[in-house]
Amino acid sequence: MIVGGYRIELEPRLKSPRWLVYVVPVVSLLFAFVVAGIFLLGTGHNPFTTYGKLIDKGYTSYYGITDTLGLATPLICTGLAAAFAFRMNLFNIGEEGQMYLGMIGAAWAGIVLADNLPGVAAVPVVMLSGAAFGALWVLVPAVLRARLGTSEIVSTLLLNYVALNLVNFLIFGSRTLWRDPSPFPDGQLVADSARLDRFGTTNVYPTLLIAAILAVFLWLFMRFSNYGYETSVFADSPNTARYAGMSASRLTVSVLLSSGALAGLAGSMYVVGPAGKVDPGLLQVGLGYAGIVVAALARYNFVAVILTAVLFAGLRVGGAALQISSDPVPIAIATVIQGAVLLFALGGEMFRKNRLRVRRIAGSPVRGAA
Amino acid sequence: MRRRHIKGIALAAAAAFALAACGGSDTASEDTMATEETTAVEEGADYSNLKVAVVYIGVPGDEGWTYQHEQGILQMESELGIEVTRLENIPEGAEATATFDQLARDGYNLIIGTSFGYMDPMLETAGKYPDACFQHASGYKTAENMGNFFGAMEEARYLSGIAAAKASPTGKLGYVAAFPIPEVIRGINAFTLGARSVNPDATVQVAWTSTWYDPAKEKEAAESLLAAGADVLAQHQDSTATGEAAKEAGAKWVGYNSDTMAAEFEGTWLTGPVWNWGPHYVEMAKAVAGGTCLTEPYYGTMADGMITLGVFGSDVDQETQDLIAEKAAAIIDGSLVPFTGPIKDNAGTERIAAGVSATLGELLGQDYFVEGVIGKTS
Repeated sequence: MIVGGYRIELEPRLKSPRWLVYVVPVVSLLFAFVVAGIFLLGTGHNPFTTYGKLIDKGYTSYYGITDTLGLATPLICTGLAAAFAFRMNLFNIGEEGQMYLGMIGAAWAGIVLADNLPGVAAVPVVMLSGAAFGALWVLVPAVLRARLGTSEIVSTLLLNYVALNLVNFLIFGSRTLWRDPSPFPDGQLVADSARLDRFGTTNVYPTLLIAAILAVFLWLFMRFSNYGYETSVFADSPNTARYAGMSASRLTVSVLLSSGALAGLAGSMYVVGPAGKVDPGLLQVGLGYAGIVVAALARYNFVAVILTAVLFAGLRVGGAALQISSDPVPIAIATVIQGAVLLFALGGEMFRKNRLRVRRIAGSPVRGAA
Repeated sequence: MRRRHIKGIALAAAAAFALAACGGSDTASEDTMATEETTAVEEGADYSNLKVAVVYIGVPGDEGWTYQHEQGILQMESELGIEVTRLENIPEGAEATATFDQLARDGYNLIIGTSFGYMDPMLETAGKYPDACFQHASGYKTAENMGNFFGAMEEARYLSGIAAAKASPTGKLGYVAAFPIPEVIRGINAFTLGARSVNPDATVQVAWTSTWYDPAKEKEAAESLLAAGADVLAQHQDSTATGEAAKEAGAKWVGYNSDTMAAEFEGTWLTGPVWNWGPHYVEMAKAVAGGTCLTEPYYGTMADGMITLGVFGSDVDQETQDLIAEKAAAIIDGSLVPFTGPIKDNAGTERIAAGVSATLGELLGQDYFVEGVIGKTS
């Protein structure tokens, strides 16, 4: 870009200085709050009290943070799912649908199998069933990608709509074991043994610990295992990987299946946790798509996914809570705040990876300013 | 049609109010405390102990379902002199529990949820916060501190079917339907019965969208019905997309939820079944102010005013308007019950015997289409 005789360029940094890692997110957040603040002022709200309330209701109050952690639990899993595939330069956009399938698979096991299982086995079996259904949902895109090079972006995305209609069909359009026998469109509850209790009066379930442990485990596993090494070699240079005798199709299929299983796990956490059934309400929350954002914010680092999922969930919880007031902030403005934070956080990455250079164009007057 | 549910608790509350007022005037000279209390009760205007919140699935700007609830909330605010907190765009399902929890913790003592999928989250929160009263629209579960409310929209649907058939030269009507659940099926059937009461050859073709609010999909479905020859369209969703498709094609439209779009769709608009939530909202708030929570399922009707038929467009001639007014009066006084046999389903099987009227339970579980409907209930 050339402005008034100066050339403004982004130049890739060979090395990011350490301080930038901390400064960029802080500056990004400040920018986001300034931009959203303009919207707040324009609609007659005090930005400072609004942010204070957002932070209180989303993060710092007891029930604020517990509600946020409850919402973050499945989000950690969909975030891990997206990060797992991205690390091998595979773009699984189908977490949303794989999560629905996870919900369907978990509910199936919870209705059909759980009663015949010893109490302690019910929850693990239900969760594994959800993971398996999530993995199966990505099997076709994975094989197509590995064998024919079909874009997994398109195929996984399209299957989201199929999964959405499948849930609607199970609850609204048919009489299967997933549907409650009452005339109302409602999911059949799973066996009690397949449910976990929430912690006290909060909305946090033990599945939060499973999600967090999984994140740490994946971080360690992909860092120290042979498999993790192979995927990172493949991501850097597929040709090198092939030359070293690694099977591209084996890696592609297994990475995508694992990603699908993680997203399926998110859906099964919904079943063993708050919902206890196939709940079409999940179709309105968008936790699968949000997982992609969470993963990108975390720079595909599994442990960082925990933090970004909490950040994202808190914005949702706090944003909705802004409506509970004598001077309510409309949900549309709350969404603008969320959008600004996410956009600037992602945009800040550009400045961490690149250096901004402003150079005077030698000897040239304002030629071709555009 | 008779009123199906007597609001026992509301009546009890009213009686308690009356008794308190009488008792108060007897003892007024003896005790100043009693005098003060009596004054408050007699004026009947102290609702300062009410803290009301309503949770919407969408925004009032939808000109449909949420808009009509908003009208009811506005009526509650102006009649009782209170301010109600609105939460918009809250997704259904288990994640909504956190929202209802938050309201209960913040001291709201009347919490209203206006979408079916809030039922289990509200039930869950109601169990945790017994001091708050929860009121859920369109569901079926209740608790000690949770009631539900809905209404006999089939009555107004029946009347709108008459207007549709009278405005249709071909007798081919179309219905843009949401999800194949009893509420929607019942509406289609009532519309069809109304239409066939004036044109026995009328048919109603159904197109499912699997949406409550998705203007693009709903418009597509409406266009498919128009392409199949329908000249009047009815709908169940919350958008005006069906009306727009009808307008573009020069067809007629029976709306739903609200009649605010009548002027904008002049020449297309016939009429529309309309919800009138206000009176019941006022009643449930008064109950909470008086220390009770209405927990009997409430099923409003045209007789009690929860269900009405919206304004007529200019294409509904005076003769038809008079006929509909006559039928409406008959529904209100109970001499006309739309679901009275003989009624056959669209496969020819008799479902309601001659002279018998369907019970409320049968209506709430209705899962077949009546004769004249072209389509399947799934």
